[in-house]
Amino acid sequence: MEISIRTGQFRLAHVAVALAAALVFTSAWAQTPAAPATPPGAQPAPAAPAAPPSWQQGRSTEQATSTLHPFAPHFTGRPSSGLPTDKLKVPPGFKIEVWAEGIPEARSLALGDKGTVFAGNRNLSDVYAIVDRGGKREVKKLLAGLKAPNGVAFSKGTLFVAERHRITRYDGIEDRLDSPPEAKVVIDNLDPTSQPGHFWKFLALGPDGKLYFNVGAPGNIVNPNYLQAAIHRVEPKTGIMETVALGVRNSVGFDWHPKTKQLWFTNHARDWISDELPHDTLHRVSHKNMNFGYPFCHQGDLLDPEFGKGRSCSEFDPPALKLGPHIAPLGMRFYTGKMFPAEYQGNIFVAMHGSWNRSTKQGYNVMRVIVDGQGKATLKPFLEGFLTDEKGDPPMWGRPVDVLVMRDGAMLVSDDYNGIIYRISYQK
Amino acid sequence: MSVLRRVGARVAALLAVASAGPALGADAAAGAQKAQVCVACHGTAGVSANPTAPSLAGQPAQFVATQLLMFREGNRKDPQMSPFAANLSNADINDLAEYFAAQKLTLPAAGVSTDAETGARLAQQLNCVQCHGPTLMGQQHIPRLAGQQREYLKTQLRGFKAQTRFDMDGQMTSAAQPLSDTDIDALANYLAGLR
Repeated sequence: MEISIRTGQFRLAHVAVALAAALVFTSAWAQTPAAPATPPGAQPAPAAPAAPPSWQQGRSTEQATSTLHPFAPHFTGRPSSGLPTDKLKVPPGFKIEVWAEGIPEARSLALGDKGTVFAGNRNLSDVYAIVDRGGKREVKKLLAGLKAPNGVAFSKGTLFVAERHRITRYDGIEDRLDSPPEAKVVIDNLDPTSQPGHFWKFLALGPDGKLYFNVGAPGNIVNPNYLQAAIHRVEPKTGIMETVALGVRNSVGFDWHPKTKQLWFTNHARDWISDELPHDTLHRVSHKNMNFGYPFCHQGDLLDPEFGKGRSCSEFDPPALKLGPHIAPLGMRFYTGKMFPAEYQGNIFVAMHGSWNRSTKQGYNVMRVIVDGQGKATLKPFLEGFLTDEKGDPPMWGRPVDVLVMRDGAMLVSDDYNGIIYRISYQK
Repeated sequence: MSVLRRVGARVAALLAVASAGPALGADAAAGAQKAQVCVACHGTAGVSANPTAPSLAGQPAQFVATQLLMFREGNRKDPQMSPFAANLSNADINDLAEYFAAQKLTLPAAGVSTDAETGARLAQQLNCVQCHGPTLMGQQHIPRLAGQQREYLKTQLRGFKAQTRFDMDGQMTSAAQPLSDTDIDALANYLAGLR
């Protein structure tokens, strides 16, 4: 072995000497553009310079020594038996229990016509189906090997899945949970740049029968391209896409008002301004061509220190409600079920994934948004107990991602940190 | 769409767990049994004497679990590790993670390398503590660096620099870009010498 290595070096040295000699004697050729040593594509192109991760982008020089960092989920899931689920707190009369577990990184939820609950993944690549069999939940890995299948939506027998780059449909899925059909593409090429950024999607069916989805910003605070920092919709049959709202940094939850049928959505504001600014927000889409401000204006009244120069927040549409800085609102649904007390009718439930970019942590709960007759919205906590130490690292033992109202009026809450789904019910 | 993905998308019923069934894992005693095969490279109780294999003792459980999962899923690749991880269930991974996290990394006193000062300066410059914790003992899904095998550390840093080492969010790949080979050696020597 040693000998062969030495031989190799010996030969290489000779080649080098020969090359140097050739260069000395053919210096006149130096003016001529050299032909590539190897044809293009014969060897991998030099790697593009690696940018800092998108969560770090937009930090000031003083923040370069910050110890704040995002939290990763337990990708193999954690058994509820080892977790302080008894610390979970809901209002009097309500009850919370573990409904299903062993669903690593359970994110967005959708409910099938026959009662199957579907759960997507963001960092992982699977979609799960959870079936209630006589009071026991059976968890099946339904689809695997997908690209950030965070968005799931269900309509008339069909499961729709939003991946990073496309939206697909699986027809008649509830009759084929053990042998799902091949994916049919609704729309593709949603991720032309393949770069880091907020490109996992939320997906929901609007009252107009169209699929609504987000394409987030390509970083923390970056000028988006025409497709990014927006909510779009696509007609499932034709694949025709339209933009619904602009200036949305990243929305990972939306729903339609049960009466007005207007679209409401949650939005994550930028990081690295301060602990208290800007607020994450809740928005209402009342007309076409609304622009909610990103990257120029945040929370309706805060110009971006960099992108806000020469702009005014009056150019943009303000949010319906400020939810709190870095609180990370994800899934939201209007409550229209029959189980909860009357005062809960029409409330919006918002799952707060919880802050990382804040020295004192907040969120990690499910909040209730009550909108009065004048359109004034107020916030009340509904499910608490995941946050254990607001200064801790990590500060929590679980993180709510989505809320789903079941046919009986009970509410499911997904927790991607542990791969658990909880059920909240009410009894008079 | 690749054939693999099409096949992958049709995989069904890989997992069927009743919610009231047995706990999914996190049993250090079971992990000790399962860790028998790890000893050859990672040493007894995860204290490695092999310059190219990392010590696993005292690593955060979530870090061990995350890496085993990434090996299993093919995101992180290694000719030695990938086959071992290929057949692990999530419960196996959780057991192994609990076991290694519960072991103590006892190390002999370390000599100070000649480039330790450079290494310390680089570690400060790169703000390693932001993710790896105030004493670089690791936390959550982020590994302990203090006292790790130096050759292993060098290989990982070179891999991050070359953009060939699996990286969940691009943080390490980005951090390793400005490092020269001498910097990598100094940083690894410094981290390996930490107690």
